[in-house]
Amino acid sequence: MSSILFIALPLLFGFATPILNKFGKNAVVYTSTFMQTFLLYLAFTLLSSTTATIEIISIAPPLGISFVQNEISLFFVALFTLLMTLFSLYYIGHRKTNAYKNETKFFILLNMLLASSIGLVLSSDIFNIYVFFEIAGISSYILSAYTKSSSALEAGLKYLITGAIASVFLVFAITLIYLHIGSLNLAVISQGFETLPFNIKLLISILLLVGFGFKVEIFPLNFWVVDVYQGSTSLINALFSGIVVKAYLFVFFHIVYLFLPSGEFSIFLVYLGALSMLVAEIAGLRQTNLKRLFAYSSLGQVALIFTAFAMQNADAVQAALFIAFAHSIAKFIIFLSITSIQKEHSSFEIETLKELNSPFIRAIMLIAMLSLLGIPLFAGFIGKLLILKSLAVSSLIGVVVIIIVASLIEAVYYFKLAGFMFTKSEKKEKLKIDFSQKLVFSILAFLLIVIGVAPFLISGFLRESATVMLDNSAYILTLIGGN
Amino acid sequence: MFEYLNQAESIKNIVTIGSMVLLFIGLFGLLTQKHFIKIFISIAIMETAIFLFFIGNIFNKNFTAPIINDGFKNVAIMNDPIPHAMILTAIVIGMAVLALGVSFAIEYYKLTGNTEIDKMNEMRH
Amino acid sequence: MSIKRTLPTSTISGFTLSAVLILTFLKILLENLPSSIHRAGDELLKLNTQEGVANAVTTVVVYFRGFDTLGEIAVLFIASLGIGLMLSENSQCEIKAESNFMLKTASTLLFPIITLYGVYVMIYGHLSPGGGFQGGVIIASAVLLLLISHKDFEVPHSVIVLLETLAGVSYVLIGLIGLFTLDIFLGNFLPHDVAQMGMLVSGGIIPIIYIIVGVKVGSEMSMIVQNLIKRGENV
Repeated sequence: MSSILFIALPLLFGFATPILNKFGKNAVVYTSTFMQTFLLYLAFTLLSSTTATIEIISIAPPLGISFVQNEISLFFVALFTLLMTLFSLYYIGHRKTNAYKNETKFFILLNMLLASSIGLVLSSDIFNIYVFFEIAGISSYILSAYTKSSSALEAGLKYLITGAIASVFLVFAITLIYLHIGSLNLAVISQGFETLPFNIKLLISILLLVGFGFKVEIFPLNFWVVDVYQGSTSLINALFSGIVVKAYLFVFFHIVYLFLPSGEFSIFLVYLGALSMLVAEIAGLRQTNLKRLFAYSSLGQVALIFTAFAMQNADAVQAALFIAFAHSIAKFIIFLSITSIQKEHSSFEIETLKELNSPFIRAIMLIAMLSLLGIPLFAGFIGKLLILKSLAVSSLIGVVVIIIVASLIEAVYYFKLAGFMFTKSEKKEKLKIDFSQKLVFSILAFLLIVIGVAPFLISGFLRESATVMLDNSAYILTLIGGN
Repeated sequence: MFEYLNQAESIKNIVTIGSMVLLFIGLFGLLTQKHFIKIFISIAIMETAIFLFFIGNIFNKNFTAPIINDGFKNVAIMNDPIPHAMILTAIVIGMAVLALGVSFAIEYYKLTGNTEIDKMNEMRH
Repeated sequence: MSIKRTLPTSTISGFTLSAVLILTFLKILLENLPSSIHRAGDELLKLNTQEGVANAVTTVVVYFRGFDTLGEIAVLFIASLGIGLMLSENSQCEIKAESNFMLKTASTLLFPIITLYGVYVMIYGHLSPGGGFQGGVIIASAVLLLLISHKDFEVPHSVIVLLETLAGVSYVLIGLIGLFTLDIFLGNFLPHDVAQMGMLVSGGIIPIIYIIVGVKVGSEMSMIVQNLIKRGENV
């Protein structure tokens, strides 16, 4: 069972959809869900093997493209397929009352998003990473403008323009890399990058930072995020904050660890991440729109993961993986419950939470918010604890202070939200949640609680993944055999 | 001065300066123009500048095209085929994204009559 | 009376800062012009002769970096899907003026010639410069000529969708066949003798994939062009 199937099967499904469409819309939806379940099974089968292997495409590396399957990439692959399968299950319940127009095209875009996110995580060739970057980008632009209302189109336009600018910088960096090092394989580039003169190294690093920085949502390049999240539907927001941004984060730091193994610019990146988190949380304080509030919260958490990855040691990277895992699941819960609420209410002001009459949704959202805050017994706690500990060990007390202040600010508006949710006031009639949606919410909440109570279940695996991500020589050995 | 132009390295200097001028023209257009189509054109100019920079710098004028024909098989004096493949892919991807952007702009204009990027305020702040 | 305009200091400092940055940037680039180092392309040129294909660029695009080409086809597919989705079906743009009979006759005469040229470029892509992308775009430009000169010409939608689907599915299926027979995705599983280099049938799966790419690119570009002409309003 090879990991190429993660890319080939969704692509095959996407290309063949016009024929499948002749059998009816339900055929498309159920085939897609079945295929994603199969990919989930495949991901867990691959996880059980412990050696790092490569999948060759057309010709062996370093001359060709290949996929590297080690603990860290399979962790992300498993997370993405799990989230996407749960998303499809949720959508099957959602479409009974609120189907999208042109559903088959929606499923093509979902599968392309899944294939490209997985491809970003697995690939070992920088130009291949750029191609997957573009596939993920173009599916995201169309998904955010999907409903064709004027705010959705505005979101799509803003996203597209910033994404196109990011690609320009990325192509420039790739051309400079090929001109000066002469190869497109990540292992060969990492060996040759140290020998470059400092000027060109700085220029390529700045170009890569700007090119990825738009997508990784660091300050000041994250001006587009909140408007895009507000314009898209909250179903799509769940995908953006849960799957896509994690893939971009992983690729950026994978490249940083390979190209700059001695951590030359890591202090700068740490402070940049902390600054982004502070700015995002402060700006989130005065928001009254529910989607914008959670978009700012998403920006803050992604900046925290960025800071954790930027520290470039095994404890911090393990913390980053914990936070990424907890954040993806929690944001999925929150954005999917906003979608369920949206069926009954048309506006998204925070005050509409007062009218929410579904104890199930209230409990689920409370669990997700407690996890995002980092309360003990929920999955977000262990990640925050580990990153603060790692920062204190490296004597970066300023960053610790910034993170604690930002978390307190986040706590302020979460408690405000929880207050609105639990006030006794006039409620509308009870919200009906379909069985498949209840199943999805329960699985996600269960994961948050289980990992919160017993983090030792995955902490060993995450520690290994962190070590593997930082271990350049093992990666180069797997790819080009110890040259 | 013309002896300078005859050397092999001077072509690369000229191509670099020329393509960077084009890049900065595109960047200036991106930062100052407000109309959607002008922004898309600026992005296209920036992309073209980078392709020009790449192909100009990788080109070696003593070598020939990487095509084997009529028994001419000496691969040691052929140019590098990888940049051609990369630029081909990058051109198609850039064009696809910009075509999509134009269709977004057309629909947006039909709905709101607005073509300026700083007057987009469908979303309250 | 002349109006004096003094530039504000912010503009002047902005200009000098950007000029300094630009000059540093240019200096870095010009000092570090790449010398002729050993690049991956030279190795690929040597490997190319084993595939039995005359045009090394085609081998690189289709075989050595065939995965990138697959991704690029996916991008074009998604873009064409998105344009069809965005431009709403119920606004038909009417070209009001009837074309001159010279334009109509000339374009009808030119259309098969241009299409034939596009097909030639596509099929001979592995022997001389050209290939699937180039041939597909030439065919799309022939379709564009007909769309502009004839008021009610429409590319038949079902034919295009069928061609597109078959081409895309067969590309991925060829890759999967390579996975199952040779254990390498997109491996070259058809015979590719070096002795056949320069013949039309040579290089294994490489000309087949490039023709598939050409069909897909041609049909998608025709759809994009038709959507932009027929459904965009007169803006």
